[in-house]
Amino acid sequence: MKPQMKLVPDDPHISWAPERTEKTGVAASVRGISKRFKKVPVLDDVSFDVAEGESLVLLGASGSGKTTILRIIAGLEQPDNGRVILHGKDVTDLPARERGVGVIFQSYALFPRMTVEKNIAYGLKIRHRRRKERRETVDRLIQLVQLEKHRKKYPWQLSGGQQQRVAIARTLAYKPQVLLFDEPFGALDAQTRVHLRREIRALLKKVKVPSIFITHDQEEALELGDRIAVLNDGHLEQVGTPDDVYNHPATEYVATFLGAANLLLGVVTRGNVEIGTARLPAEKETRRFRDGQSVKLVFRPEDVCLSPDANLPETCRRLANGVIEEVSFVGSYERLNVRLDLAHRPQTGEPTAPLYQVTINTPEKMVGVPVMATRPKPEANTTRYKPGDRVAVGLTSFSLLPNYTLARQR
Amino acid sequence: MKLTAVRHVRGYDVARPVSIGVMLGIMLPLVLLPLLSVFIYGTSKGLGAFWSSLTATEAIFALKLSLVTSFWATVFNVIFGLFAAYVLSRYDFWGRNAVIVTISLPTAIPTAVAGFALLLLWGPYGTLGRLLSPQGTQIMFTPYAIILANIFVTFPLAFGVIKPVFDTMSRSLEEASATIGATRWQTFWHVTLPSLRGAIVSGALLTFARAVGEFGSTILVSGNLALRTQTAPLYIFAKFNEGQIEAANAIAIVLALLSFVIFSVLFFARDWLEFETQEA
Repeated sequence: MKPQMKLVPDDPHISWAPERTEKTGVAASVRGISKRFKKVPVLDDVSFDVAEGESLVLLGASGSGKTTILRIIAGLEQPDNGRVILHGKDVTDLPARERGVGVIFQSYALFPRMTVEKNIAYGLKIRHRRRKERRETVDRLIQLVQLEKHRKKYPWQLSGGQQQRVAIARTLAYKPQVLLFDEPFGALDAQTRVHLRREIRALLKKVKVPSIFITHDQEEALELGDRIAVLNDGHLEQVGTPDDVYNHPATEYVATFLGAANLLLGVVTRGNVEIGTARLPAEKETRRFRDGQSVKLVFRPEDVCLSPDANLPETCRRLANGVIEEVSFVGSYERLNVRLDLAHRPQTGEPTAPLYQVTINTPEKMVGVPVMATRPKPEANTTRYKPGDRVAVGLTSFSLLPNYTLARQR
Repeated sequence: MKLTAVRHVRGYDVARPVSIGVMLGIMLPLVLLPLLSVFIYGTSKGLGAFWSSLTATEAIFALKLSLVTSFWATVFNVIFGLFAAYVLSRYDFWGRNAVIVTISLPTAIPTAVAGFALLLLWGPYGTLGRLLSPQGTQIMFTPYAIILANIFVTFPLAFGVIKPVFDTMSRSLEEASATIGATRWQTFWHVTLPSLRGAIVSGALLTFARAVGEFGSTILVSGNLALRTQTAPLYIFAKFNEGQIEAANAIAIVLALLSFVIFSVLFFARDWLEFETQEA
């Protein structure tokens, strides 16, 4: 049904990447961009770089300002403050048409009265390139995006994925400084989305054009981005590799926006984090905090390890005891709701001691702190839990964030 | 027999033929018969008589004058309508709505008032006409006056068709064109205009159809001089007053057929026009 896009073998003579004037390695740079719409701040001092050949994902909820950043880079919107630099050249005051960026709009914005060929050739036509050069470029691009059979078709005769490929080819024709993708998979169904995402990733690796994606889909961000910039309410929360932002979130927002995260409040004491009566050894993690400082302990459901006795795996640091409250099977993994007893300190050799503080018999008597854990299928099949089971709870990895008492104190 | 008793005899819905019949019955004396009588009366003395009244010098001149003046009024109003629609849908400025209402105003003004207003402005003693007459320039009572009157009364028609298409047209097409490197003019020519083709054609046809039939304002500003400023509708009026019913009727048939053709094109081209404006 869906044609798998096989990439044309590399031809060293063809390059779609922009011609570099400076060898700084930075393709695009956004410096201190701020923007207000009718006095409502949309962007607040946003800065980031995109390296040569890199793909950066701007991830944020709707209304976080990510589309505005994209439009500012493209020149479709003017920032109140800050500069946009493309390949070492300040383009902030240039109109969109002189910037040479390629925008792939969410609707693809293919010209409805032009065929696939004419859409792709448009950038060369308005640059008054020769017919022969135009035809050669179009031929190569059509081959690159695997649309040989559709070159004479009109946009409305193409599927969403094909339209998207035309849109990309149309921008590659004039060797864009940077490609900007505006929610590129928003208009597609879930299956096609995953499929196209891989295609685009492969295509970009091949053409080596630096790209900026914007999306609100964390899964998409993790898969598409060499780096991810998380945007919240007009400011950047964190920029880092997918591994960084997922495993070492810099802020609570990043932790909770990228996947599920558990959050507990604790206090740093001599290389440990104390959460209620629980004491979690964290020599390395607490180094940047002072004793007595209030912190947030953030960990992912898959970082939780459970054991019916005291024998937690080597890699696991013991947190507390708990009671299984609910077990649900969610397709590829198992999800457990566990209530932690943080009022009773487990002694050594006391893995399943009575949990005095945790009661789950009746809803109104529920005490203890709920956390969520997930287990892969094999593990779930070896050790089965049912609600009411007492377990030792440990963490394989976690991060600590300062717990400011005032909101938005960063 | 009660009507309800026959309503659904053997699954047959009597309401269908009855309501269609009533509708046609109302249309018959009001619309269909008057049109029909033009054709019946005009050809009642034979096609020869019809042909000779049609080819009379005055008749041909009147028809030509109507077509030419309407053509130029259409050209002007389509270009202006396109321009005004672009400006009013792309830029927001103080008084924008007031301008939109003003452009649409001429449809609501009685055509006689429009002609009278033009006379007051351009006539020999009018505000602007007074400045022109010492130089020997006289606009009123010439074909130019007819074009002016046609422009005035058909002013909002093309604009009214083109503006909504502009409003619903996705901005991202023009933005895409700009990011690809096109100038405003290139974008307008290659991207915007092709999407407007349908609206321009129907706007032009509407304007032309309305201008050809214009009577109220033309009779005031043209002077109704045979072989000089007498348009086809004025010719019908004049011949009818002189009692030459056949002469009036021949032209009436031509005008009726012309509007019939224009509206058929508009009606049957609707699918094509909708395809034109749809976005991929």
